[in-house]
Amino acid sequence: MARPAHPEAMAPAKPGRTRTAPPHRPPKFPMQGRYRAYTLFDATGAVYLLMGFGVLHAVRTLGDGEVAWQALLSGWAAPLYVAFHLLALVSVLFVGVRFFRLFPKAQPPRIGPAKPPPGPVILGMLYAVWIGVTALFVGILSGGIFG
Amino acid sequence: MKQLLLKIEPVVWLLFGQGILIGTILLTGWILVVNLGVPLGIVSADALAYDRAHALASNIVGRLVLLALIVLPMWKGAHHLRSLSIDFGGAGRDSVVAGALYGIAALGSLLGIVAVLAL
Amino acid sequence: MSDLPKKTFVVTRFDPDQDEAPRTERYEVPCHPDWKVLDALNYIKDEIDGTLSHRWSCRMAVCGSCGMQVNGEPSLTCKQPVSELPDTVEVAPLANFPVIRDLVVELEGFLEKLKQVKPWIIRAKEKAVEEGTHSQSPAEHAEFKQFSMCINCMLCYAACPVVANEPEFLGPAAIALGHRYSTDSRDEGAAERNEIFRGEGTVFSCSYANECSEVCPKHVDPAAAVNQAKFNAVIDWATGLVLPRGGRE
Repeated sequence: MARPAHPEAMAPAKPGRTRTAPPHRPPKFPMQGRYRAYTLFDATGAVYLLMGFGVLHAVRTLGDGEVAWQALLSGWAAPLYVAFHLLALVSVLFVGVRFFRLFPKAQPPRIGPAKPPPGPVILGMLYAVWIGVTALFVGILSGGIFG
Repeated sequence: MKQLLLKIEPVVWLLFGQGILIGTILLTGWILVVNLGVPLGIVSADALAYDRAHALASNIVGRLVLLALIVLPMWKGAHHLRSLSIDFGGAGRDSVVAGALYGIAALGSLLGIVAVLAL
Repeated sequence: MSDLPKKTFVVTRFDPDQDEAPRTERYEVPCHPDWKVLDALNYIKDEIDGTLSHRWSCRMAVCGSCGMQVNGEPSLTCKQPVSELPDTVEVAPLANFPVIRDLVVELEGFLEKLKQVKPWIIRAKEKAVEEGTHSQSPAEHAEFKQFSMCINCMLCYAACPVVANEPEFLGPAAIALGHRYSTDSRDEGAAERNEIFRGEGTVFSCSYANECSEVCPKHVDPAAAVNQAKFNAVIDWATGLVLPRGGRE
């Protein structure tokens, strides 16, 4: 039997005339079928939150001077950090793909007089920006541009 | 607290949405080079030598990008962890969990603004 | 009938007068190759166990009455072919709903949520009959048409993880219906509905599972409606910061 949902899920304001059995959750929730991708999508929140603080730490370290900065960069070669950052990379790609799939249909049919472009065009634009900005960012940070 | 959470919801959703959109787009390059490329020696260490890194970061565009990289993923993370908490039966404790998570994101954002200005 | 291959149906039963909690019963049902799950349930009721209670009506996926969990997935039992299912088929009442009896769930909570979104044309002043009808172009109609195709079958509510966990959430079908009216060119009630969408039943509770759209038998795509509604609610909120409420329209 599936696990219980919130005891008041879909409950009417006033109880009916007979005793009801409490609601149960979708049986495949949270880690079976399509729900697994959904739960993992939510779980990437932990990675993003840590990454935000990671960048904060990097910026503060940059303000602490050369020695601290070099130590930070070489410290990230440790296996635990490499594993986390690989996980972060996978998470970011997963989130991007899933969110971009949803983005076109989330646009309202009209904003005032303006109509958004068709779905496939929006999707193409999103990927173009993602790839383009990443390439630019990598180019700048790795010394290829403004080197 | 519940009424406060409802009131700030549009702002949180905007930050969360941009956290996914802009945060994801910017984080990809950041992770590839700063977190993996340079530490693992795939990218030359000179690329992020202190002087160059500091110059790039303290440039006005650099500061804005770094601010986005700090703030936006934090709000995406906080909001999604709140969803995760609710998914696992946490509707009752939501006010506390949301308050704590958004509080962390707000604090981190504030520290981020200070750090970026101090570069 | 006896030559037909049999499938085992494991059906949830619950009689509030006799049962402490729902239980299951197994029925061996000879299944015709063209049968849908509903045909098997009707066979059980007609030939094996007349006490089985389940809702059904049109048998052609337009009335929305026969929604149930079939092997864990919310389905219209009149639409789901038995031939596509394994030899053991589990039939349970829709997830996320209180259960009145056997496969019959309490609908009232859903109807209350529908009413909350004011699913009718709202106009400041009704057009007088002498002024003639409203005109609406095909392009204007296309903006909301898919959201008007909902048959209130509630499969989306059964699939939604937020409905499972947040009782006040308006839910996919109600938000889609409200959005349908707000997007209708004849309607002037978008501002009113945006307030409702930002209230206790908040559309922002939707966490992008997209399960509602995956299970919808009429391709309404409620996930699209909910996320469009979030966008509109935010625009409304932002303009409300700049322009005072009374100053609009």
